[in-house]
Amino acid sequence: MLRVLGRRIATGILTLFLVTLFVFLLIHLSPGTPLAAAMESEGLTQVTPQIRAELERLYHLDRPLHVQYALWLRGLAQGDLGRSFHDRRPVAEKIRERLGISVAINGLALLCMVLLAVPLGALSAWRPGSWLDRYSSWITYAAYAIPVFWAALMLQIVFAVRLGWLPLAGLDSDGWESMGMVQRTADRLWHLILPVACLSLGGLAYLSRFVRATLLENTAAETALAARARGLSSLAVMLRHGFRQAAVPMLTLAGLLLPAVVSGSVIVENIFAIPGLGRLFVDAAFQRDLPVLMALTLLSGAATLLGILAADLTYAIVDPRIRRG
Amino acid sequence: MADRGKIPSSLRAGAVLLLVLAALALGAPLLATDLPWIARDADGLSFPAFSAMLTATSGTLPDGAESPILAAPIPHGPNRVDLRSTLVPPMSGHWLGTDDLGRDLAARVVHGARVSLGVGFLSAAFALLVGVPLGAWAGYRRGWADFVVSRAVETVLSFPTLLLVLAILAVASGWLARLSDVTRLALVLGLTGWMPIARYLRAEFLKLRESDMVSAARAVGGSDLRIAWRHILPSAMAPVLVTAAFAVGAAIGMEAALSFLGLGVRPPHATWGVLLADSREQIDRAWWLALFPGVALFGAVLACNLVGEGLRDLLDPRSGRR
Repeated sequence: MLRVLGRRIATGILTLFLVTLFVFLLIHLSPGTPLAAAMESEGLTQVTPQIRAELERLYHLDRPLHVQYALWLRGLAQGDLGRSFHDRRPVAEKIRERLGISVAINGLALLCMVLLAVPLGALSAWRPGSWLDRYSSWITYAAYAIPVFWAALMLQIVFAVRLGWLPLAGLDSDGWESMGMVQRTADRLWHLILPVACLSLGGLAYLSRFVRATLLENTAAETALAARARGLSSLAVMLRHGFRQAAVPMLTLAGLLLPAVVSGSVIVENIFAIPGLGRLFVDAAFQRDLPVLMALTLLSGAATLLGILAADLTYAIVDPRIRRG
Repeated sequence: MADRGKIPSSLRAGAVLLLVLAALALGAPLLATDLPWIARDADGLSFPAFSAMLTATSGTLPDGAESPILAAPIPHGPNRVDLRSTLVPPMSGHWLGTDDLGRDLAARVVHGARVSLGVGFLSAAFALLVGVPLGAWAGYRRGWADFVVSRAVETVLSFPTLLLVLAILAVASGWLARLSDVTRLALVLGLTGWMPIARYLRAEFLKLRESDMVSAARAVGGSDLRIAWRHILPSAMAPVLVTAAFAVGAAIGMEAALSFLGLGVRPPHATWGVLLADSREQIDRAWWLALFPGVALFGAVLACNLVGEGLRDLLDPRSGRR
């Protein structure tokens, strides 16, 4: 078990470095120096050679490539991710002030997905082929194909513009600072309803279809058939035999959905004007802000690898066959 | 192997939807244009829309056209600004309404299909071009080739695709600047989308290389390349086709997302993502600007998914019907 885990972590770390190396090489080997590209995106095309040289020295851009990458790695080991090309602030600081909100949104979306997908999938698996099953199958199938940003736009139009029930965008109302603790939390959650709903839509559809398939498979198994023969109702069989078998793959899948959720949160944060890491990433992409891009690529990769690792771990803990394998 | 008796209804529905969209995309210059289909000028009848398409000139109304007899179904060009009729609601002179510059939404949606489907299919082609040889190589050779390809696949798959694509588009802009918007997006999406294809093909090759068919081919002296190309690949294509269908849908969605964020196809080029991005400024006034491009986009992605699902049921009856 430990050896398997160790190998997983080792390949995970290797993967991470390969990707940062890839991004790094891409930016340095493509025509035009990275600093010039970044400055151009800010409209700074007329810079004296002295200032340019000074800036290049500041960002170590005058050193050979392998030295630059090694310097980046050394900084990383010391918790220093470099400074943004854009506003010269430390990248770690920029990430820290935005990390909380992104983690909250992604976490809430994952939670919603699991909490809603399980009953939804169970309902359709309970009476396969019934009208309930057929309609929910169609709806989840369609929901899976809905682009996140379009869902966001339509929900904004219906719930914010037409009905006025929910805020259009942003994180908190005017006068948030003067509110009490309870009010503040309520206001935050009120603002997060639409973003989280959009973000969980696709995964919810996928997961509930998966729950249905797994439950059907397990309730058709021989043990379940025997339980039916003993006189248990179909609902009881599903709850006892189906869920126990299905719980683990569901958790695993939720972990594997993390990359898709992170991709979605980039879009959702942009639409709903939420100052999270997704916004930062898109801004950095526009500004060709290499240090920020590198750090966020590393971070998102680490997050998804941790998700996969956690999924593997739960699998191994619950299923003894895997532990020995 | 394949149950050829019945074509799954999902495949039929998806294929019909996709064909309709493809027809709209291909016929866009004819369907949505300022130029009349038939007009009368000084020396008899003329066909301005058709001749403009044949000579590939953009649709500006020639002065000679005196009186139009038959207009196009959508009698507006996609970029025709008309400040006298801005934000017109649907069904009142404009099928799907107009935007804040008075441009006809129906014309823009139909022309947007060209970009979306173009990027979708082109990127799937790129993905096949990379994924098929790599997957076949890994599955056939095994050993270190397999190790390298499998690691590469895992690496790319474990990253949020959108972030990776955004990073590549931002970072490699110097290289990509010379390409057209469609080629650039298709290339980047193809290069980040080949992994599922390679993975499925590798699994098929691993299985099939041990089959009697391959031993027989080897016994009569077939070369590796010939065995892989002529014997294994045709039997291994089923999962590849299924994956490719899903890849087209994913690429269409991704193109729209990138254009929506402003890093894909750039305005004033009408694509569904750009149209949806533009609609945000009018969100409290013109719901139609957000609804119709989104319906088109949703339809295209759904069609590809239906085709993929249907193909899977058709080619491998065991995996379907769950």
